[in-house]
Amino acid sequence: MGKKSPEDGGRRRRMMFRAFALMLAAVLLLPLMPYAVAYVGGITNPNPGADLWRQVRQREAPPEVRTQVQGVDTGVLINARGESWREFRMEQLIPWSGWFLGGMLVAIALFYLLRGRIRIDNGRSGILVQRFTVNQRMAHWFMAVVFTILGLTGLVLLYGRFVLIPLLGPEGFSVTAAACKEIHNLFGPIFPLAVLLILFYFARGNGFHWVDFKWLAKGGGLLGGHASAGHFNMGQKLWFWGTLLFGLSLVASGFVLVFPNFGQGRLIMEWAHFSHGIAAVLFIGGAFAHSYIGTLGMEGALEAMTNGYVDANWAKEHHDLWYAQMEAEGKVGVVPERGLSESSGGPETAGG
Amino acid sequence: MSERFEQGVAALRRQMDARIVSYFSSCVHCGLCAEACLFYTETGDPKYTPIHKLEPMRKLWRQEYTFWGRLGVKLGLADPLTEQDLADWESLVYDSCTLCGRCSMVCPVGNDIAYMIRKEREGMVAAGYAPDGMKEATRRALEIGSPMGVTLKTLQATLKGVERNTGLTIPVDVQGAEYMTLFSSMEVVNFPEYIESIARIFAAAGVSWTISSEAFEATNSGIQIGDSKAAGELVGRVVSAAEKLGVQYVISPECGHAFTAIRWEGANLIGRPLPFKVIHILELLEQLKEAGRLKLEGQTDIRLTFHDPCQIVRRGGVVEQPRQLLREVAPGFVEMRDHGVMNWCCGGGGGVSANERADPLRLQAFQRKKKQLDELGVETMVTACANCRIILEEGIEHYGMDVQVTGLTELLAEHLAGSAKS
Amino acid sequence: MFLDFVEGPLWYVAAAVFLVGVAWRLAAIARAGLKDDLSVPRTPGTTGAVATVFRRFLPHREFMRPAAFQMVAGYAFHIGLFVLVLFAAPHVEFIEQRILGFGWTPAPHWVFLLAANFAFAGLLLLWLRRMLDPVLRRISTPDDHIGTGLTFVVMFTGCMALFESHDFLRALHMLFVDLLLIYFPFSRLMHAFTFIFSRGFTGATMARKGVSA
Repeated sequence: MGKKSPEDGGRRRRMMFRAFALMLAAVLLLPLMPYAVAYVGGITNPNPGADLWRQVRQREAPPEVRTQVQGVDTGVLINARGESWREFRMEQLIPWSGWFLGGMLVAIALFYLLRGRIRIDNGRSGILVQRFTVNQRMAHWFMAVVFTILGLTGLVLLYGRFVLIPLLGPEGFSVTAAACKEIHNLFGPIFPLAVLLILFYFARGNGFHWVDFKWLAKGGGLLGGHASAGHFNMGQKLWFWGTLLFGLSLVASGFVLVFPNFGQGRLIMEWAHFSHGIAAVLFIGGAFAHSYIGTLGMEGALEAMTNGYVDANWAKEHHDLWYAQMEAEGKVGVVPERGLSESSGGPETAGG
Repeated sequence: MSERFEQGVAALRRQMDARIVSYFSSCVHCGLCAEACLFYTETGDPKYTPIHKLEPMRKLWRQEYTFWGRLGVKLGLADPLTEQDLADWESLVYDSCTLCGRCSMVCPVGNDIAYMIRKEREGMVAAGYAPDGMKEATRRALEIGSPMGVTLKTLQATLKGVERNTGLTIPVDVQGAEYMTLFSSMEVVNFPEYIESIARIFAAAGVSWTISSEAFEATNSGIQIGDSKAAGELVGRVVSAAEKLGVQYVISPECGHAFTAIRWEGANLIGRPLPFKVIHILELLEQLKEAGRLKLEGQTDIRLTFHDPCQIVRRGGVVEQPRQLLREVAPGFVEMRDHGVMNWCCGGGGGVSANERADPLRLQAFQRKKKQLDELGVETMVTACANCRIILEEGIEHYGMDVQVTGLTELLAEHLAGSAKS
Repeated sequence: MFLDFVEGPLWYVAAAVFLVGVAWRLAAIARAGLKDDLSVPRTPGTTGAVATVFRRFLPHREFMRPAAFQMVAGYAFHIGLFVLVLFAAPHVEFIEQRILGFGWTPAPHWVFLLAANFAFAGLLLLWLRRMLDPVLRRISTPDDHIGTGLTFVVMFTGCMALFESHDFLRALHMLFVDLLLIYFPFSRLMHAFTFIFSRGFTGATMARKGVSA
């Protein structure tokens, strides 16, 4: 290099400084270029994860969602409804139904305390009339047994955690719950048979007539007074039809629940669960009242369903129209099990 | 306990054979036997359930053959068989059972309940608990030779009448005849037309036959009351007479229990095989027809039905023969819905007809036969047992029904080829 | 502990009582003896005996209607019980390991459940009828109810143990099975074996008379 002047060294230094400053400016300003481009009119993406999570929580069917695993509800990664169902079951179904059932028991107890046992006003006459056949009684008690087994195990499944764990401890409850679940699921399919038997053997006489509405208006004579009735009064008819309706609901929802391998999605299962629970609780509440009035609540009632006969005075007081028909057909006082008896009128002879 | 009762228990104990023990072991108290018994179905009274009639015998079985029974006896906790039980059960065992055996056909575990009742009666009789009417009938049978008191003189008088009406000679005490026939007292007294009929049929068919003056009674009261000793004595008389005359066959007439007595119980009662073959009159007639020896002509077109005598059909095995014979002369023959081995008893067999105390129950039970007839709407009923015949006629009269009863042999004789009456 | 007891010592005791007891009861029938029938048979007794053992599985045509309930409920119970005892997987496993040393293909689970449904329904209906029908009330003994009740409890505890997740439930089931086995020879349950004899004897007699019963 030749001898340069001191002014040349200064000029080179000023050039290098200016080049460096330019490069620094470029580097700092480069990232702002997209903004400059966007400002001019390009891509907007505030939070790219939001879409993804929305789709993960949704329940819509394809083509919104596609999965490799084909099946019912396999496109649902997180079931957002599950939480609301759980809340319903824990915060509403269980407490409200608990109040309802408890309330039924309290109401029945109060009724007993205030009204007492409904007696046969004129006392027993000793004359019997056949009220229910062997087949009717069999159908009834078959339903009663199956219903009780299913009801008790079902109540354990619904309330067990709250009522039984304090009593049995978690391990004890685990055994009980496993047992109850199996019993409930196995006896479930027998229930439709019970409903069919009730339908078959009690349909006759359970149609509604004007006299039944009058009976209802008079409160069935439950609080005193007399209300006419045929073979079955309004209370019994409502119970019969209730059995069929509740029964149908329980059977349908029960089958959906116990055989989940027929393409039901979670939504259908939830609905089944919902109707099963509601129908069951209402049915059980009704069963409390039915059992009460058939046993403790009314003198002369239980024997109708155990040995099939009722006292003539009981019949006159509670089912006067039916009794009149029996009298007309000569069926009062006819008791084959007691030997060759005289029919209608006098007391039956005690056969040999 | 009285000595009589002890004898009864001893007799009952002797009846416990393998069959009885297996029957009591198998009975699961299903109650189906009740549905087969006309005494239950027509009264609705559960005490007439067939297996329930065996309660005294069951008690004995329980206390001697079962663990709980024997334990109970040892501990004094048992419900043992008492004399009162026998007294209480007498009317069930004798008034409400004809040994018809319909219950035996329906028991799901195969119990032959009629057989069990037959055995139970042995104990009842030994203890003295049997209806007076039946005791009297047995006494007359043993002493006089007939439960109705028919003597040889009575028979001879009847035979004279038969000879007059038919113009034939009735062979009596013919040595070496092929067939020796018996009669039930009921036929001799009430239906001598039967004797006329066989006389004419045998003559036409060329049958070599005879009656024994020493033993002509077919009915066996011992079987009905349940006294094997008496039954054996009565059968023994027939066997002696048959041996004396050297016959090949003994004909059992139109009488139900007579057939059971000689054909199925006879050999066992005397303890050796019978020295002759037993044939029922219907079997013989059917054989003669098949062989062409019994020629029938003409037919009656009346709509009629057949009542199956229990001891001949269900308990005797002569099922098809009456039908085959009937169809020859009556194309209007219609079967009852329950027919053949499942037909219903007339209600008077097994000694019930000799038991006056049982009359009201028997007449109520007859409603079953009435229902069978009402369903068919026939005015004529044919049967092949003199006892059934009289019971059926009684029932028909009691209910004011318009039905005629006829004997099968009689009907066939009316259609004998070449006879004036056909 | 409980499970070891009911599947160990108690099981052996129960099985022994069952085998010895059944043999004893059957021997008692043979020992009671039977006199020879000296009357001339129409058809052989032995063939009649075998024929009636099978024929009595169905009622006579004329008797179908009165017998309908017993037939339907009875067979629902018996066939259901037969299938679930012999073909349910846990049972086949038990038989293979503890009794015979060999097993067979068990039925699918749904067959097991279906059989159990039929068995329960049949048993319940029959038991209820026994308590309600006048004829059955007249002739039933405590033995009938105990036998039915014990069978029901065995089935019920079996159902409770279906999940096969708790030893306690399995042991409870096994306990009642042991009790049932011990009770069996001293009760009406013996009909399971003696029916062959009772049907056979009657069949033989009727065949000799020429009647198919």
